[in-house]
Amino acid sequence: MFKLNLKIALRNLWKHKGYTFINLTGLAIGMASCILIFLFIRFQFSFDEDHKNEDRIYRVVTHWKYNAFDDVSSGVPVPFAAAARNEIAGFEKVGSIFKRGGIIHVNDQNGKTTIKTQQAIYYTDPDFFEVFSDIKWKYGKPQQALSAPNTVVLSEGFAIRFFGNTERAIGKNITLGINTNLEVTGVIQDMPQNSSFPLGIIVSYQTFYGRNNSNWDSVNSSSSCYVLLKEGVNLDDVQVQLDQFNSKYYPIQKVAGNQNNQLQALRDIHFSTAYDNFGESTIGKSEVYGLAIIGLFLMLTACINFINLSTAQSVNRSKEVGVRKVMGSKRKQLIVQFLTETFALSLIALLVACVIAEMVIPSMQNLFNGQIEFSLFSHPIILLFMAILVVIVAFLAGFYPALIVSGFSPALAIKNKISLNGKGLSIRKVLVVFQFSITVVLIIGTLVIVRQMEFVQKKSLGFNPNAVAMVSILGDSTSVTKFNTFREQVLPVSGIESISFCQSPPLSDDVNATDFTYNGIKNKDFELRTVRADENYFKVFDLKLIAGKIFMKSDTANGCVVNETFLKKINVSNPQDAIGKMLDASGNFMPITGVVKDYNDKSLKEGISGVAIFPGKNQYWNTAIKIDAKKIMPAMKEVERIWNRTFPNGIYQANFVNDEINSYYEGERITGVLFKVFAGVIIFISFIGLFGLISFVATQRTREVAIRKVLGASTIELVKMLNGSFLIMVFIANLIAWPLAYLFVKKWLAGFAYQMELTAWPFVLAMCISMLITLLTVSIRSYKAAVANTIDALKYE
Amino acid sequence: MIELKDIEKYYASKGVKSYILRHVSTTIKQGEFVSIMGPSGAGKSTLLNILGMLEEPTYGSYSFMGEDVTTLNERKRIELYRNHIGFVFQAYHLIDEMTVEENIEAPLLYKKVPGAERRSRVADILDRFNMVAKKDLFPNQLSGGQQQLVGIARALVAQPSIILADEPTGNLQSAQALQIMELFKKLNEEEGITIIQVTHSEVNAAYGSRILHLLDGVIKEDVNL
Repeated sequence: MFKLNLKIALRNLWKHKGYTFINLTGLAIGMASCILIFLFIRFQFSFDEDHKNEDRIYRVVTHWKYNAFDDVSSGVPVPFAAAARNEIAGFEKVGSIFKRGGIIHVNDQNGKTTIKTQQAIYYTDPDFFEVFSDIKWKYGKPQQALSAPNTVVLSEGFAIRFFGNTERAIGKNITLGINTNLEVTGVIQDMPQNSSFPLGIIVSYQTFYGRNNSNWDSVNSSSSCYVLLKEGVNLDDVQVQLDQFNSKYYPIQKVAGNQNNQLQALRDIHFSTAYDNFGESTIGKSEVYGLAIIGLFLMLTACINFINLSTAQSVNRSKEVGVRKVMGSKRKQLIVQFLTETFALSLIALLVACVIAEMVIPSMQNLFNGQIEFSLFSHPIILLFMAILVVIVAFLAGFYPALIVSGFSPALAIKNKISLNGKGLSIRKVLVVFQFSITVVLIIGTLVIVRQMEFVQKKSLGFNPNAVAMVSILGDSTSVTKFNTFREQVLPVSGIESISFCQSPPLSDDVNATDFTYNGIKNKDFELRTVRADENYFKVFDLKLIAGKIFMKSDTANGCVVNETFLKKINVSNPQDAIGKMLDASGNFMPITGVVKDYNDKSLKEGISGVAIFPGKNQYWNTAIKIDAKKIMPAMKEVERIWNRTFPNGIYQANFVNDEINSYYEGERITGVLFKVFAGVIIFISFIGLFGLISFVATQRTREVAIRKVLGASTIELVKMLNGSFLIMVFIANLIAWPLAYLFVKKWLAGFAYQMELTAWPFVLAMCISMLITLLTVSIRSYKAAVANTIDALKYE
Repeated sequence: MIELKDIEKYYASKGVKSYILRHVSTTIKQGEFVSIMGPSGAGKSTLLNILGMLEEPTYGSYSFMGEDVTTLNERKRIELYRNHIGFVFQAYHLIDEMTVEENIEAPLLYKKVPGAERRSRVADILDRFNMVAKKDLFPNQLSGGQQQLVGIARALVAQPSIILADEPTGNLQSAQALQIMELFKKLNEEEGITIIQVTHSEVNAAYGSRILHLLDGVIKEDVNL
């Protein structure tokens, strides 16, 4: 029976090629989008999965509560690990890890450098690998390999890269920085991509210069601590111990901001966007769920198409149903038969969807800058998902039509006298309105996102980032003495306009913030952002002073320039009043020499902070070089040559301020691309569905159209009549979509401190777009119906 | 009023031409009541459809009130059609979703007759056909004869100068058929409306003033009664 059903199903699909094509395309595209979204979501949820004891592993983080704001850090004070090991009974193991960048030299037997590379270095104690006891060691054991100073453990990938193979690496030396020699004592597996700590080069914690820091008040987000709870220990009990620990080490009067340490579950790390992590790959859960909802809607839209088309088409099948019923088929059997058909179609759609997905995967990887590798067959759960998808789609799409068709009265059906007006159509109308509401929401969303990104790109930042290159420089004592030489050699190069030593461009998320004392009064309401830069910084970035003057050329902090927001926050209304007042911030006691006009110091998602700019030669790590826009290429080549000559131990790194600023909107850029793609897909699916539906309506109303024609209606009048109801449906869909879209874009825009003005135009434009496409799609078919031969329709049967 | 010259109509299928009409030439004057008769497949309905501008002849010329229909563009043809031709069908062809009143009103809407006049003309015709009480009923609530009356009322409301009827009584019982034919005769005699009907029935044909006998697409006989 099933075989026969399948055969008939395939024959029927083949017979109505046009409808089958529409159904298949819609379903396949919907499924492909769903599969891709699922791949992405699964990847996100797979972060840090499959660790042994994963439910007992926690990261320790630090929280602050100031009067005006709360702050968090993924780091802990350096002394935390040692103290916690002794005092918190619930912790079985406490592992410290510290990440920083470093330059690695690999030398051959003759002492010649073969590899020089900038890499992330992880200083780790052996206990870390007891917390993560399932990280595989190819050679060596954590306790021996990482106990002594000057030892290093490499991942397989690095061992092969540095020494050709893993075996040969053991016992060899690599150099960190200029003169720290490290002996390779172990090799571990490569960490998977979905890890929040992509360990590559692991140096023993004993080598870490800051290991003896005993300051509880200093927290660096790179200094992390992972703990393994004792088996069977209740999290609440550990929390009590931690609270006692907090009150012992962070007495309120001594440590600012009510600092305390908290636990964060391993599997939550990837979704905690407020905290850093070593993989630099956090994503908000709301984004993931948002994407899932879009995927669901895409699939629903495709299913709605299917329902509408097959119910519409079912009239053509009425005779078959009648004959079958006369022959004794039960309704249930007919339902099974029609579901078989849907199932066959969904299966074919899935195959097509897999092909589409496979083709789209490279561009998707590209969208995420190749950080993520996707594959359709990487995990059994993906196949399971596909199977479930087919079954659900087949039922969702096939059940209602099967119910309708199988319910035809045999006497009428056999005479082809079935009409599907009334109730059936109104359900379809509701579905169409629903479908188009989703479409319109996505169109509006896309328009707003694109527009806001344009706004962000065009907004004046208060400084000029154009044609400024940031070239990194080394901070070690030898290199610092060469700054002036470098500057003097670079300045005469043709095209170089000015040059400044600094930490970062004016807009940067590389923030140093500190508490401060102004004019002898200690401030507790907000933290002051400190920016180290020399006096040329203002010229390079075209920063405008509104009062006072720039500090004198100096190697140390002899004076500072603050911004308007800082004055506003400390309630100084006249900038002149601040000049000469003393500011005590991060260990520097200096007079305010000038006030700079406000500029955006963070991405436009955030407001302007209070800023103080002052010199500090030992803490510069960048050179900002302003170049004549026409001579960028040759000038940069020359700068690179001079740089390599001046700092032979370093690795030349340069990027343009504009690129750096744009990188802060990477997430928004990806959202924008996704919205464009999905809006396109959903528009496509909706409109082929619409085309199918108008085909049905036109067929249903052939006779009426013919009569009206005989009564004197012109083609245009008939097209108008057929189109009318569709335009009304799309219009209603717009009305439903507007408030939803408004809520959504309002929420999205709330992520920006600087928002474009939200006017009616994206809404109106979305309506125009949807109405126009509707008109086009529907008119193609209704025109055909209106010019069809009148006589054929009116022939007496 | 109507002049047909050498009208030919054929359908070509697989290179074989099957002729429906051959060399049909005739003239019909204002105020005539013509019956087209002939066996099934003789081309009666096709001839009527060509007269009603629903079909185009393959060859030949057709002039309606002095205008050559075959060369007119769609807009002008519809204009001519709206103002002068009313159609009555064997299967009535009323719009099921519309009431009697709305069905009758439909052609006036397409003729862009202003609302007040529309209402008065519909009311007038409902009154004339004694259907005022039924104006809010839907077609499937009426008997066949009543439906056909609505069909005729709908054809008349636009005040055509000619009514084309394709076996108007074919679906009706004889008593109802008689009533319809009496109505046609009255319209023809009292209001001077030209009537062309296709019929199988000698009785019905006898109501008219002229009979065209059609056989295999050719006019075999043209009898004035």
